[in-house]
Amino acid sequence: MGGVADSVPPFIAAHLTHLLSHFPLTLKVQQMWSSDKYNSTLFDRFTLLIPYCLDFIKWDIIYNADSPSTAPDFIFGPEDHDFHPFHMNSSIQPTQPNNSLKDWNYKDPSRLLQLVQYLRDQYVLYQRKRVEAVDDDRLKFEISTIISREGIEMHLTSSVEKPEEVKFAVPLMDMNINKMVASCPWRYSQKIYLQVVYPVGRKYLAAPSAPRLKLVSSPELKALFSIDDIKLPPWLDGMCLAEYLPNLEEYLEKQVLEAVSLVDVRRHFIEALACQFGRPVEADPVFCRKATFLSASGVFTFLVHLLIPTQFPKQQPALMLQSSQHFNTQMAPMKSRLISDYPWSPRWEIPLMAERICEFLADESLNFKRQCSEGQLQ
Amino acid sequence: MDESPLQNIAISGPTLASIIQRFSTSPSSIDGLLFGHVTHITPLNLSDDSAESPDSPTLLATVTGFLSSPSSASTTSFFDSSGTVNPSSIRRLLHHHHNSSLLGWFSARRKTPLRPSMREFSVTASLSSLSQFSSSIKNATKPSSFNPCVFLLFASPSVDHNTHVHTHEYRAYQFRGAGNSFEAKSINIINIGPAFRGHYGSFSPNSMFPALDCEVGGSPMKEDEERLSRMKQVAKDKKELDDYAEGFEIGKLSKLMGSEATSYTAGLEDLYEKMLLKIQNLTRDVENSSVKVLELESYNKKLKLKISRSAASE
Repeated sequence: MGGVADSVPPFIAAHLTHLLSHFPLTLKVQQMWSSDKYNSTLFDRFTLLIPYCLDFIKWDIIYNADSPSTAPDFIFGPEDHDFHPFHMNSSIQPTQPNNSLKDWNYKDPSRLLQLVQYLRDQYVLYQRKRVEAVDDDRLKFEISTIISREGIEMHLTSSVEKPEEVKFAVPLMDMNINKMVASCPWRYSQKIYLQVVYPVGRKYLAAPSAPRLKLVSSPELKALFSIDDIKLPPWLDGMCLAEYLPNLEEYLEKQVLEAVSLVDVRRHFIEALACQFGRPVEADPVFCRKATFLSASGVFTFLVHLLIPTQFPKQQPALMLQSSQHFNTQMAPMKSRLISDYPWSPRWEIPLMAERICEFLADESLNFKRQCSEGQLQ
Repeated sequence: MDESPLQNIAISGPTLASIIQRFSTSPSSIDGLLFGHVTHITPLNLSDDSAESPDSPTLLATVTGFLSSPSSASTTSFFDSSGTVNPSSIRRLLHHHHNSSLLGWFSARRKTPLRPSMREFSVTASLSSLSQFSSSIKNATKPSSFNPCVFLLFASPSVDHNTHVHTHEYRAYQFRGAGNSFEAKSINIINIGPAFRGHYGSFSPNSMFPALDCEVGGSPMKEDEERLSRMKQVAKDKKELDDYAEGFEIGKLSKLMGSEATSYTAGLEDLYEKMLLKIQNLTRDVENSSVKVLELESYNKKLKLKISRSAASE
């Protein structure tokens, strides 16, 4: 994206930069290209990937380099051919009285963002209408019980190869995780979603099968809390989402609170290590997942990298030694393997943990030194 | 307000070729109005057993002409950026096309998917709701009218690796007010040949050939001056036409037939050569003017870019 300013006409570039840096969700420009026959270096059309329902929708945004003052046009995905954002009430006249396209002002860089936001909101309504029109009694019931949840998104997938499915993205827990983390580095608000997929139109089943369930979060959240570690509560026969969600949320809330409290435990651990090794060379100050100390055994100096899991202290940190004196043929410093099988008990007091690691390293450093000088390591 | 469904949309080869030519030579997207007529066709399924379904489409829209302008030119466009059609600018454009009726519009954009865009939907919805521009259906059993609801979409592929081959794709739609949706229609390209004899049988000329006014005398004195200038114009037009026909006089042509014809091989070859020469000159003229146009276009483009850059940096 570094080349935006050079290859995109200035006003269009201003719209696009504003959109990408201020939109509340992470947008991606998949590709940019030029409409010009002769000079294909001036980009005026691009494909935008917009997060929707834990997936992406792809919209082509069509500007004209010839007249950058004209409002852009949109071409939606081929499966959304009946999505007409300005004609949602099946009337000929546009539904939006203060249609942002009508008084398009190309000098206002926020215009594209407003437009994309409006179109995405309309898309949410459009998909909701489609899902509500599906003739499936169980689905109708499920929708009626969860429709009031704020931020819920749904999507009807219909393709030739696959049977119809309805997908829900249910935002879980009304808590602001960003606020719970001190000096939070996340730009976007972190949420955990439950993805629920129902197959459509299996009316003949007396006892409908469980929908496919999956927890989804953004990759950034992994620093604090891994949803892969969460075991979903079982879906009992004849259950509905409205019954399932409260239990799940209660359980998740406990997990998140615990994960947040574990940050401080890790911080204490790093502080305890500092008593043994001296101040860390490097440490992750927010989530306290990583720390590096400088240590010595006689004249042999080496770095100790500690990778601390989110499940600490139940799980022990992984250690890695890096020599300051031995280099391999590529002139990279020699490193040990990840060591996570040293003596450990989660019931130890934190200072004892630090002490035990220090003791273990006193022996291990000799091993490591020997391996380095014999060239056994890479 | 619901239009009857079209069976298909017919367009003559030259008209289609002409739109594509306009599109491929224009520096950016173009759009414009489509003219033609709608005919009621008598269904041919005269079987005894099946009761004829009343809603089988029996209308044929024939596109015979178009009016185009660059999409970006806001002064000549008939819709605004939200896709709302301005009836008065349509009326202004129609002023010059009073003998054919408005069928709909077309949009041609380079390097985009061949699907109607958001704005194209709005424009078509808006245009087809303007019943004041509807045309009457020919051969209809009862007097009925047809709103301008035809939409032709032209596009070139977004990814075109081979720059030597120009690909132009097109698709035709009818806008249906009831379902508020586009209905894809097949396009029938009318060409010369036995399959299309029917079309030419019902051909009615409506081209813009200059009217050669040869009537002299019998007019009031005060109009004389105006009349004189008009006659001069007519004489000039006539001379221009004569220039085209030079060397192809009727007398000469008549010698090519009958018993004399055998001895006129040389004459025929001479005629043929002249014809080739004329065509060659014409193509050279076209080539030269195209080069000039292209030069001007790229110069304008550079100026435009300069202006927009300096405006943006303010």
